[in-house]
Amino acid sequence: MLVQTQRQIATLLTAVVVTAMSGCGQSGFDSHFVSSDKTESLIKEAQNGVGDLPGVNELVSDRFGTPQQLNAWMKLPVDFGGVSGSVSAAPEASIAVEELSLKFDGEVIQVDSEPLLVQFVTGAAAPAVVEIKRWSAEKGVASLTAAMETLPAEGDTVILNGGSHLKTGRQLYMRHCSHCHGTSGDAAGPTAEYLNPRPRDYRHGVFKFTSTNAQSKAARDDIRRVLQNGVPGTYMPSFVPMLKDNELDIVVEYVRFLALRGEFERRLVSELAPDYSKDAMANRMASGETRSEVVNDLKEFLAEDLQDSIEGFMDGTNGLATVWTNANLPEATITPDAARVPNSAESRRIGRELYLSKAINCADCHGIGGKGNGPQTTIFEKNVVTETLYPEPGLHDVWDNVNQPRNLTLGIYRGGRRPIDLFCRIQAGIKGTRMPSFKNLKHEDIWHIVNYVLSIPFEPEPGKGPTPAPAAATTP
Amino acid sequence: MKKFWALFFFFWPAVAFWSCWIARSRGWWFPASEDNPLGLAMSPLGQQIDGLFYLILGIVAVVFVGTQFALGYALWMSATKEDSKPAHYSHGSHSLELIWTIVPAFVLVFIALYQMNVWAEFRVQSYFPNETKEDGPKLEVTARQFEWRMRYPAPGQVLSNQPQAGDLYAVNEMHVQTGRPVKFNLRTGDVQHAFFAPQLRVKQDAVAGLIIPVWLEVPKAGKYDLVCAELCGWGHYKMRATIVAEPKEKVEEYLRNLEQEQNFDGVAPAAAEE
Repeated sequence: MLVQTQRQIATLLTAVVVTAMSGCGQSGFDSHFVSSDKTESLIKEAQNGVGDLPGVNELVSDRFGTPQQLNAWMKLPVDFGGVSGSVSAAPEASIAVEELSLKFDGEVIQVDSEPLLVQFVTGAAAPAVVEIKRWSAEKGVASLTAAMETLPAEGDTVILNGGSHLKTGRQLYMRHCSHCHGTSGDAAGPTAEYLNPRPRDYRHGVFKFTSTNAQSKAARDDIRRVLQNGVPGTYMPSFVPMLKDNELDIVVEYVRFLALRGEFERRLVSELAPDYSKDAMANRMASGETRSEVVNDLKEFLAEDLQDSIEGFMDGTNGLATVWTNANLPEATITPDAARVPNSAESRRIGRELYLSKAINCADCHGIGGKGNGPQTTIFEKNVVTETLYPEPGLHDVWDNVNQPRNLTLGIYRGGRRPIDLFCRIQAGIKGTRMPSFKNLKHEDIWHIVNYVLSIPFEPEPGKGPTPAPAAATTP
Repeated sequence: MKKFWALFFFFWPAVAFWSCWIARSRGWWFPASEDNPLGLAMSPLGQQIDGLFYLILGIVAVVFVGTQFALGYALWMSATKEDSKPAHYSHGSHSLELIWTIVPAFVLVFIALYQMNVWAEFRVQSYFPNETKEDGPKLEVTARQFEWRMRYPAPGQVLSNQPQAGDLYAVNEMHVQTGRPVKFNLRTGDVQHAFFAPQLRVKQDAVAGLIIPVWLEVPKAGKYDLVCAELCGWGHYKMRATIVAEPKEKVEEYLRNLEQEQNFDGVAPAAAEE
């Protein structure tokens, strides 16, 4: 009996020790980028390709990779990290070299655990990757772990640890962001379904609170500001001081990478959807075409036209690469042409008049008292994509979530409480939502409205004195 | 097998001693840093709390080691000695019962009385340091899933429980004056959280619907951690903030900068360049 108990205890102890030592971390969990609903509305052949011709899924993963093996598509306006440099002296020909003279634009930091990988970007040796065993900063000479077969020439560009931002960015994102925003940036992480408002789905390439004008994308600083300050009134917290300055930059790049991935996928689908969605297929078969005819059509489109389409929406003045770059230019940033009008009772009164005026009509959504209960909040809206009515009343955003106008009496401003923040919300609107851009409004008038809006929590009507404190606060 | 149980009970006090011995070098002890390698409390009240902690640790150590040793000793003796005498049962001994009731009761009453001053100073408002009564609360700290939001009154104003027009807001960074007790109001915007400044030994729950006054005093300028010590949800670990202790002038300068930042209208820098 006793021996048996001892044996049982020993077995149990062994099990505990083994579990503790092996841990649960190595269970082989793989994360995936999932394809969007829009992609899944296409016919199978358009999603997965026909014969050798790649479909949407492969076209996207060729360029962006998988979470385990991310690709740095150089066409994207994303800072993938790494230190660029060049070959400062061509090695002597005809010998397989183990040493190379290199010149880098930044500092080379050697960490024991991380290999230093140099990739040749131009020249005969490209796209070879070599590993540096030892780097001598004074001489500018790198000893390689293995001899090189194809020799580079002087002036060939190289990149050291290229893609390091993607790698670190992914690790940080998966740890801190993915449980809400999802691995693919699709706002479908495990904790997302408990949140109201819902976390942002980046794949539209739309960010609500920006400092850029109405037609521009979000600048890097806009995303960074959200990471720093959080979004009050939502579940988005501030990530300072948990993330260091450079880590914030890296997360911003990774979020832009995911946004571009999602937008690239959407654009691809919109090229194919008119003719090769499941609905289009049904229509075409109803009008007499056979399935194989449609697939042959698709084959032709994928082989001949798609490359042009991709170049069309990536490059050019309105291409994705351009618009995401231009959002960071000073021209895209909203700069008021005059300083804020002094916050006087008179200015707030003008602001209130503008707020209630027929032309601007803030009250239509935000309500006469600013409680966010204007008449528009009770209508049944039509979904502009599907052209059907939403099942619930209220204003909807491009993510199909109910997104009611802000209650301005609370003094909580999601996009920031600085006057410039409110100015941008009015001048450029809130992107992806029903808050429109009032870009034709005189800047002076916008400032009057800003002054009024900032006073709403404290003074319901300008000049009428402060809001009476709630009764509960005065009773002991 | 009889000896096994004796050794078993000798083993645990040894483990307890060993783990206390290596705790500091392993970072299992109080949070230490380069300027504070011993992990001493960085606030006067914290030092008193540490004093209580060590006192209780001492009492517990004596009791634990004593009882374990007695148990092991009894087992060892009966395992090694062949004794033909019949067993003696002490169950129901009146004097023994009295001893082991009165002695722990005395110890507990002693601890209860001895810690009262520290407790009152930390938690009872009428015993708060006089400076905090003169100054009033300096800021309001609102815990929220998953961050700390600070609200300071406008420079020259008094903090009000209702937000005021000139209030200054910050997130995850709390600035307090060094060398003077600073009182602040603690609240929560959603569920229960706990304000925990480990180096200062300040820990206070934030409870929905309550405004809880808390005070702390930091003699030495520097940055101290502020974390949440109440499991408040899936993002609990994200609630990390910094307490910046600095001289009065620096705090005032910080608030002036905060005010300027908060009133930024997008054109101010150009005006400053002219």
